[in-house]
Amino acid sequence: MREESVPVAHAARPRETRHRAWPLRVLAGLASLRLTLALIALLGIGTVLAFRLEGARTWPMVVPLALLAGNLLAAVATNAVFRRQTWLLVFHLSLVALLLLVAAGRLTYLKGMVGVTDGATFDGRLAAEERGPWHFGALDAVRFVNAGFDIDYAPGLQRGATRNQVLWQAADGHWEQAVIGDQHPLVIAGYRFYTTFNKGFAPTFRWQGADGASLYGSVQLPPYPLNEYSQALEWTPPGSRTPVWVMLDIDEVVIDPGQHAAFRLPTRYRLVLRVGTARHLLQPGDSVALADGTLTFVGLRTWMGYQVFYDWTLPWLLAACAVAVVSLAGHFWKKFAARPWDA
Amino acid sequence: MERELQILWIAIVAYVLAGVLAVIGVALGKRPQRTILGLMCAGLALHALSIGLRWERLGHGPFVTLFEILSSNVWSLMLAFAFAYWRIPRIRAAAAVVMPLLFVMMGWLMVAHPGEGHYPATYSTPWLYIHIGLGKVFLGAVLVAVGISGVILLRRAGIGGQRLAQMPQDRQLDELAFRCMAIGLVFHTLMLIAGAIWAQDAWGRYWDWDPLETWAFITWLTVAFTLHARVTFRISPAAHATMILAVFVIAFLTFFGVPFISAAPHQGAV
Repeated sequence: MREESVPVAHAARPRETRHRAWPLRVLAGLASLRLTLALIALLGIGTVLAFRLEGARTWPMVVPLALLAGNLLAAVATNAVFRRQTWLLVFHLSLVALLLLVAAGRLTYLKGMVGVTDGATFDGRLAAEERGPWHFGALDAVRFVNAGFDIDYAPGLQRGATRNQVLWQAADGHWEQAVIGDQHPLVIAGYRFYTTFNKGFAPTFRWQGADGASLYGSVQLPPYPLNEYSQALEWTPPGSRTPVWVMLDIDEVVIDPGQHAAFRLPTRYRLVLRVGTARHLLQPGDSVALADGTLTFVGLRTWMGYQVFYDWTLPWLLAACAVAVVSLAGHFWKKFAARPWDA
Repeated sequence: MERELQILWIAIVAYVLAGVLAVIGVALGKRPQRTILGLMCAGLALHALSIGLRWERLGHGPFVTLFEILSSNVWSLMLAFAFAYWRIPRIRAAAAVVMPLLFVMMGWLMVAHPGEGHYPATYSTPWLYIHIGLGKVFLGAVLVAVGISGVILLRRAGIGGQRLAQMPQDRQLDELAFRCMAIGLVFHTLMLIAGAIWAQDAWGRYWDWDPLETWAFITWLTVAFTLHARVTFRISPAAHATMILAVFVIAFLTFFGVPFISAAPHQGAV
């Protein structure tokens, strides 16, 4: 809150203000408290617009925030009240720092999604992502293994705690392990991996090509139990050029909605593999010959969907917020302590 | 559950008696202040017992259903106002403004379904208590400011007679309301920060244009606007009071409207 500055300054030195050089007059105008009010209102309008226009959120926020930053800096440069009230100065400077950090974060962030099958290694590639234009991170080099998960369910299929075992190789080469889940992401090289409600079953296959090369791959079926009745997907095995259609036909209640339960693999199921017009029912160990090799169903596993987030500014944002709120509280404390509340 | 509800009803009766006495006291120029404070404290103790029994039975605090959220907010708002009532005797007549406002919430609470809801896994964190606790202090501070503002506006409208006229001058009340709004701004800021930390841990983002977080930010802007407007334009106490009422309306709709009408609920409930 910038206080009693502009009215007092204007009242005390109107003639002096009129005779200032034009850059100073512009700066004084830019520092106006009235402009601050108008810009707060503009930011409110921008917030509503950004909320409603999902595809055009940048400019409705950037314009008022940039103008507010200019207004704050001009006020700090020209307004004597900031030199008298340190708390107030620190508060407004931390607001400017906050704006700059948010801008830096938006330029360098990364946000994405990836599914990793139980026992498989994250290979640095994301299924979907968005990133700032200056994101030059090292996600390609990040590796971790999904070592399986447990999820509790309350009656009514209400999801409880997620506990996901993960392994990763530290910088010194030795393997580390941890349990991640709700509130506890895996953080590697600044990239934060969060478990999500997207998880399900992943039939796993071994592909034996005509050239003798052997590869493993899994098809991550749609999230379960969200898509309980559509457990099917078209998939091309790694190393093959022949698309196949895979369907998991579950013949039991995997998560009983009537009682407390846990996510688990089904024990009674049929795996349907369709290649062109040919339809095959597979059990673990069964193979199907395709035009360019042999596909063997190894077994059923689970997969976990991870949200990936990178923003190096996070600790700095927290620090700027802490400084802002402490200085704001300090300013009001000093101001209000001068007179009792029940005066 | 029957016992919890019975105790809650008795607490509500105590609150209502306190409110009715406050209104009658202003209308008739009486000062039954000790009785009002006693009823408020008795209501708060019984209400706390009711919330505690439910907490013990369900194994989680009042954070999930509309009934629980209304109940905990009626309690926290009553606590905030009772504290102000106790510590600042000169504004006690403001109870005639605040209590009828709380009656609306109590009425809503009485018709809300008291059944239990699912406690999401993402609620198992200290940030839940920090975030919600800070929000309650914010609302409590704004409620006290609303009570003071109501007195200013009622006096201006010639309502309330002698009892309100005996309260401090408008300028002094305006200063008190400003202080409450300043406290509100600090705690609202802290609430937003705590919510962002929680959201980052739980869902991998500190901001995602969720309807509730967006409206909470808009509420923060209205508080900042109101404080700045008072400083910049040196507005009259009546104009400042009107702005405070507007802030309260927006805050109320944000806290008790958006979470229950939004198609995309606050991520905490997912």
